[in-house]
Amino acid sequence: MGVKGHRTVDDTGNFEHPLYKVLFQIPGLTLAATALDHVLTWGMTNALWTFPMATSCCGIEFMASAASRVDIDRMGTIVRASPRQADVMVVAGTITVKMAPRVKKLWDQMPEPKWCIAMGSCAISGDFYRNLYSVVPGVDTFLPVDVYVPGCPPNPEALMHGFLRLQEKVRAMRQGAKVVGDPNPELLRVTKPSNPRLVDADRTAALDEAQVSSAETATDLEVAPPVSVPLEAVPAPFAASNATELDGVLADFGILPAGKQGPPLVPVERHLELARRLKGLGYRQLVSIVATHWLAGKGRGGNEAGEVEHHEVVYLLRTVGPGTRVATWAVRPLAGQPVPSLSEVYAGADWQEREQFDLLGVVFSGHPDLRRLMMAENYTGHPLRRDFAADTAAAPWR
Amino acid sequence: MRTVQVTRRVDPHVNIDRYDPEAELMLLHFGPQHPSTHGVFRMDLTLDGEIVVKAVPHVGFLHRAVEKLCESLAYVQITPIVDKNDYVAPMTNEQALNMAFEKLLNLEVPRRARWMRSLFAELQRIASHLLWLGTFALDLGGALGGGSTVFIYCFRERELILDLFEEVTGARFHYNTHTIGGNRHDLPAGWSAKVHSALNVIAGRIHEYEEMTLHNKIFVARTKGVGVLDADLALELGVSGPILRASGVDHDLRRDAPFHAYDEVPVRPVTATGGDCFARAQVRLGEIRESIRLVRAMVDNVPVGSINSGKPIKVPVQTKIPPGQAYVAIETPRGELGTYLISDGSQFPYRLKIRPPSLHALSALPYILPGATVSDAVAILGSLDPIMGEVDR
Repeated sequence: MGVKGHRTVDDTGNFEHPLYKVLFQIPGLTLAATALDHVLTWGMTNALWTFPMATSCCGIEFMASAASRVDIDRMGTIVRASPRQADVMVVAGTITVKMAPRVKKLWDQMPEPKWCIAMGSCAISGDFYRNLYSVVPGVDTFLPVDVYVPGCPPNPEALMHGFLRLQEKVRAMRQGAKVVGDPNPELLRVTKPSNPRLVDADRTAALDEAQVSSAETATDLEVAPPVSVPLEAVPAPFAASNATELDGVLADFGILPAGKQGPPLVPVERHLELARRLKGLGYRQLVSIVATHWLAGKGRGGNEAGEVEHHEVVYLLRTVGPGTRVATWAVRPLAGQPVPSLSEVYAGADWQEREQFDLLGVVFSGHPDLRRLMMAENYTGHPLRRDFAADTAAAPWR
Repeated sequence: MRTVQVTRRVDPHVNIDRYDPEAELMLLHFGPQHPSTHGVFRMDLTLDGEIVVKAVPHVGFLHRAVEKLCESLAYVQITPIVDKNDYVAPMTNEQALNMAFEKLLNLEVPRRARWMRSLFAELQRIASHLLWLGTFALDLGGALGGGSTVFIYCFRERELILDLFEEVTGARFHYNTHTIGGNRHDLPAGWSAKVHSALNVIAGRIHEYEEMTLHNKIFVARTKGVGVLDADLALELGVSGPILRASGVDHDLRRDAPFHAYDEVPVRPVTATGGDCFARAQVRLGEIRESIRLVRAMVDNVPVGSINSGKPIKVPVQTKIPPGQAYVAIETPRGELGTYLISDGSQFPYRLKIRPPSLHALSALPYILPGATVSDAVAILGSLDPIMGEVDR
């Protein structure tokens, strides 16, 4: 097997390299080598320098593990901020399609030997985000995970247990033994993951190819469930919050308050003027911009047969100080019709409008920098539109 | 109202090619994996030497599609989802969400439940600000005795509050204790004595934090005059909470638009006039003291009664909310957390928009970073206390 010069043991189990014949004559060398091996094992097990790939909630529990009460540092797990100095990557938190290539890159930067702990259900399987368009369903689809620490988030004690299991694994690896894992989830009747893991036999080359290739998303049309509307009238949530002066301004614009169905509708071409008037009236804080996508046949009043597909963009402003009031109005652009950007009146509209453009496809005219905010720039589709299926599979990653 | 005023506003969209035709400036990618980014956040900094000329933030590395997920979940199933948004203050997430449902259902929450919500919110505020102080000290780095000292101290005290929550709800965080019409878990017997003893420990140690930070020469040198955000810009950007109050705007939803039990327990908002990182630290440390005062005033006086309105919910999963739109906002440790709910009468929300305070705070970065050094950029980012879970959702 292999090149003859590289062989050390012959077929009967004897050392065949001539160098060994010399080495074995040195008294005590085998004993010293074994002792040295034990020292190396001891050192490797108890100096697992850790690189926290902390993205979300589990990262906070990781910090708690490293802090006062639990203090996993006493096991030799010093936290290093650079992957090049670390032995263990703890993936703590949800990994999204946008983040996954960076995680892979950081993993590739770690020197061998290296281990990976998947901390928390998001890193293990994607948790309840697993079937959504932007989340990777488990990091073991692209990283070789050694220890899984379940929980949402796992307690610091659970993470500590994970590190102890990893130490067992490292020790076994040094001794050439095989570490026995906990029972396979399939035996515990846990549903099999829909995305093949790295270790699965049915993981195909086509999947690897798809992950390497550029992102591509499916937007299957989802049939909306039937809706029942109760008969009782509902008190108007907006009647109380609308100030009289706002009503006065709206009356100037010839707009009547729409009442319970939502904030008053303002013509698209006049809404910038309204925003300027309100800013002068003391509504100095931009609270939020909320866009909604209404499918044909649906509208703010429920199911309405005459409705065409449209967006509705709601603007919220606030006065400052005691007795603060919220001013709200809505514009209703048809699909594809641009809305004048509010960013020249309120600087904060910049990011808010970018988010609504990204997720819903509302176009804002006059915006200084209308790019995607949340999704990657090469992403296609607008996920918060109602015709975008909620369980659209995540784009390929890596 | 004495507010911070800055005469000239930075242009965040400055064209670097025109500004620097020789292409001598350096582009520095900061994040998304960086210990000081408080999660996964990326900035492209254009540097002239060590001075930032332009900052382009990139968010979305933790975009978990929460709003899309909520559109296919029953109303009572959404509470544990939004827990994960602002994962440093999950209690307040649940409150803002369920208050929106209650508003459209026109549901009266029992007085005991409202008091418990205030109590939890204030305890959560202490825990959240302690975590912020610890991580901010880490951001400032070696100047503060390694930075880890403050971090270790703050986490020691934060654990005391998590223990209190664990006793009520069974979880260290992601509590899922609020629901439509009230709360799920009642206060256990003997809980208030434990609250008092935990608060006594924290109140006795606050002056230590102030010694280590506000009275520390190095801390002052690193934070004073750094990252000044003027009141006008902050309001236009929608910045709220401690950052807005540090710019001199006396605005706190707990006092100005009372929710929960804040109409019965008056709040004294903490303000500062610097508008810089130092002022933000002042406000947050002051808010820890104020929250301790509020919790001490409330914990022994929680009224007796039911913790949930019960009606009209029969089968929780099939709760239907009548069609309409509602916006509800509460004051969380990071500012105004709002929920805009649009219901079409079914058992799923038609649109659920979460208004995260951290997103608005981060949008100030392109305005306040230019002119600062790279090391100050880390301090400024830390002082905004962004939680990427709620920025990206």
